[in-house]
Formats: sequence, structure tokens, C-alpha cells
Amino acid sequence: MTFHKILVVDDSKLMHRMFEVMLRGHDLVSAFDGQEALQRLREHPDVKLVLLDINMPVMSGLEFLEAVGQDAALSQVPVVIISTEGKEEDTQRGLEAGAVAYIRKPFQADELRAVIDRLEVAQE
Amino acid sequence: MSDAASGDRKTGRLDSPEVTGTDLVTQLRSTLDRAAELVRVLESNLSTLQRLGHGAAGEAPAAADQRVEELERRLGSAETDVKELASRLVDSEHQAGRLMNLYVATYQLHSTLDPDEVQQTIAEIAINLLGAERFVLLLRDEDEQACEVALEAGLSEEDSLYAGGVYRGGDGVVDATLEDGVLRLGPEGGSPVLAAVPLRVQEVIVGALVVLKLLDHKPILRAEDRDLLDLLSAHAASALFAARLYAAKDRKLRSLESLVKLARGG
Repeated sequence: MTFHKILVVDDSKLMHRMFEVMLRGHDLVSAFDGQEALQRLREHPDVKLVLLDINMPVMSGLEFLEAVGQDAALSQVPVVIISTEGKEEDTQRGLEAGAVAYIRKPFQADELRAVIDRLEVAQE
Repeated sequence: MSDAASGDRKTGRLDSPEVTGTDLVTQLRSTLDRAAELVRVLESNLSTLQRLGHGAAGEAPAAADQRVEELERRLGSAETDVKELASRLVDSEHQAGRLMNLYVATYQLHSTLDPDEVQQTIAEIAINLLGAERFVLLLRDEDEQACEVALEAGLSEEDSLYAGGVYRGGDGVVDATLEDGVLRLGPEGGSPVLAAVPLRVQEVIVGALVVLKLLDHKPILRAEDRDLLDLLSAHAASALFAARLYAAKDRKLRSLESLVKLARGG
């Protein structure tokens, strides 16, 4: 498993529980806003993937991506956006900000699994 | 892992449905792998026999042809099985995903006795799992003349029926659901409501969840959303009522404790 440790960033407790169930077998690190996510990412240099919501308090997902992009050490970690913002321009904005994939909520477990599998293959 | 998430994990009672779904998918995947292996073995045997058949053409061609036919028949049957299993695997994965959503929604609704957190969970289910953009949660007032708007998201000026935190009737679909407790999917009869979900506490209709608009990238409610709407119908109000009762009881208890303390001169 290439992405053993995954950082999950979402302000919803429900979504954190959902990721725990969907990603059983992975080691999950949780953050509830962008600022906390930056801190967790620095505390856990072995995080291999970030699943990121966009609309969050304190620091949004896009602001988090901008901060990560300015840090050479952190910018190597692939980020997948998982958001209710589903317009084409939202997807474009997220990918331009540095995300490697974009999943729209609501989503099913197999959709997330497929994206993670694809990224794992690309990393190998 | 957050404290909240760690706490959730400690309660393992509701784990079985999701584990069953995952196990089913694992078993099907394993069966599919075995069937694919069988096809490979049969193909290998068939090609060996065809080579032998050519080599022994002078000795027993009829027997060799018969064997080849038999293997071809078995290969065809194995290929059909593989296709059927692959289709069942896709269905099972989909079913496991639906069960996961229902499990997590139920788990989270009943994981707290804080009324604000329960309301937040209902909103998160509506947004993240159902894909609702504009919705209201109505709870009947004690005199049953109107409904309190207990929760709202994305309301605009056109949703004037729900303005001021009170719904006094006026939408035919919502009124009918509050009356007879039937889940209605719209829009219909001039009402903009996409779903009017009755909320029950011990079979009494205490309110409704009204979905007015879905996220732009989710144009319609799908068949699997019905399970989630049924779950909200059965669990949302009871979770909220239980939390409100607990909070009221807790407040009374604190007041009594303060009074006792005062009476004792503390």
C-alpha cells in the first residue's frame, strides 16, 4: 500500500467517520480546517496523500493548497479535493492550485478507491 | 486521529452491517480471481491438447477432437461464470457503498446528546450524502398550529414560506406530508419541493425535512437516496428530540443543584 498514511481534512465529523469506514486499513490523520492540516502535515512527514475539503472555517482548502505550494517539503504530497463545489470552474481552480484529482460530493466508496488506486499506480 | 474520531471507534456495536458488506465484496473478488485462474488453466490445457491432437492425428483423432470439444465447452461455461461474477461484484460494491452511507449516518446521528451537534449532523447528511443545497428541517410547535424551522441551509428570498423561523403552511406537498406522514418526491403541483420527508418519533409525525434544491452537479434524487431519506425519516427527529430532552433535563438538574447549594448557605 503506497499511501499507507493519509491526511483527511474536512470540517464535518460525519465525513471523518465516513473516511474511517471507507479507508479501513489506512492510517488516517485528521484535521478540521486548513491551518490544522498544515500543522498535521508538518508533524507527520510520512503522510503520503491528502484528502481535502474546500469550504472550511479558519483556512479554506484553496488557501491550504496555496500555503503547501510555497513549502518545498510539503508540496511533494499529492492532494485530492473532495468537495460539494461541483462546477467546472471549481474543478479547474482546484487543479490549478495544485490538486491532482477532484471528487464531487456526494460520492461512493468505489469512486474514492479508484482515484487512490490510480494515484498509487502512478507513484510506483 | 482526532479525539472525536477516536471516541467513535470505541463504540463498536453498529459495525456489523458494514463489515458484512465488505466481507461479501472480498469473497466475490476472491471467487472471481479463482474463476479467472480456472479459465487460464483451461486455456493452457486446451492449447496443449490441440498441439497433441495435431501430433497424434494418425492415432486417435476422434478421441482428441472429443476432448477438445469438451474443454471448449467448459471454457465457455467458465467465461460465462466470470462475467456473471464480475457483474455481481460491481453490484455488491455498490450495495456496500450504500450500506456504508446508512451506517455512518445512523452512527453519527446517535453519537451525541448535544442538540446543536445533532442538528449539525442532519445538515451534514443532507449536504454531503444526499447532495442537498437548499433545505429546511421543520418541527411542529407544541400547539401544532405551525412548525418551527429548526434548521435551514441556502434559503433565498423566494423561500418566503419559511421566513422568520416559522412555517405556517402554504406549500401543498409539505402540508400533505405533515398531515399524512407520506414521503413525497417532487416537484409536483406547482410546489418547488424536491422531497418532503416526514419525521417520526414513535410513529407520530413531528415535522418534516424539506429539500428545495440539490447541488448543481446532482440533478435528481437517485434510487439509493430513498434509503437515506427513509433513515432520516425514522432517526433524525428521534435523535434531535432525545438530545433536546436531555439538554432540558440537564438544565433543570443544574438549577436544582444551585438551589440546593443556596439553601445550604453555600
